[in-house]
Amino acid sequence: MKLTVEQVTTETPEEVLIRCHDPEEPWVSEVQNIAAGQITVNGVLDGKMCRLKLGDIYYFEVVEGNSFLYCQKEVFSCKQKLYEFEALCIGTMLFRCSKSMILNAGKIDSILPSLSGRFEAVLDNGEKVMISRQYVSALKRLLGR
Amino acid sequence: MKKIEFWLHRFVFVYGLVMLITFFMCLLFNPTSELPVVRFFGRCILLTLVSMATLIVYASSEELTNRAWWFRTILHAAFLEAILLPLAHSWGFWYNALDGVIYGSFILAAKILWHLIDFGQSFYTATQLNEQIRQRKLEERNKEDAANG
Repeated sequence: MKLTVEQVTTETPEEVLIRCHDPEEPWVSEVQNIAAGQITVNGVLDGKMCRLKLGDIYYFEVVEGNSFLYCQKEVFSCKQKLYEFEALCIGTMLFRCSKSMILNAGKIDSILPSLSGRFEAVLDNGEKVMISRQYVSALKRLLGR
Repeated sequence: MKKIEFWLHRFVFVYGLVMLITFFMCLLFNPTSELPVVRFFGRCILLTLVSMATLIVYASSEELTNRAWWFRTILHAAFLEAILLPLAHSWGFWYNALDGVIYGSFILAAKILWHLIDFGQSFYTATQLNEQIRQRKLEERNKEDAANG
């Protein structure tokens, strides 16, 4: 396999382009995961703007029209809408888990079934969030790759 | 396509429950009147469709909280009884008060069975997911150990 590294100026956004025969190959998802770990979003905490790596975000939630990024301990507010953040998460471990939430599958510690037909995800930091049944197939795919 | 598959699956499941209830009702009461087979199955299909239509109580633009889900589940059970009992009575599926009570109990039992089977499926899926999570964490740990020498 040919490997090319091209240095760009700081004005040019960094980019990873994968040319492959089969996008399902494990190495492709490995590269995607590494690249995803470098994607950042802006979050505001106590009036201070912070850059957060996608990999550090536990989940993204919209509450009464306001968007929030939940990390291990802190909660940041952000300007992105659900569909904008969802587009940013393509190819990463973050997936839509309910009508108003995007969850990082890499931060799930365990899954519990619920009588309501949904699932309760226990995260690494002890928090519990609900996963709708219709999005479970996406989680299965993410964990299986 | 997935949605059609989902609703078809539900239809077959509810239809099965309606047939099961009818079977037990006939077994218990040995009815004297007989319905033509086509009309009987047609009415069972209609009962199934009406039962499925009552699922509208779960419709919500926002994600339901556990409390809201329980409230709607009780409401749904009440809806099922209020709609199916008179309909089944007018179609001659039950006659007197005792039949009605038993038919009503069967409807409730069918609803509970539905949720129990649903929970069983969820339990199975959760077990599979937990296994995947465990495998993934194990692989990550091995990679970290390898990287640290």
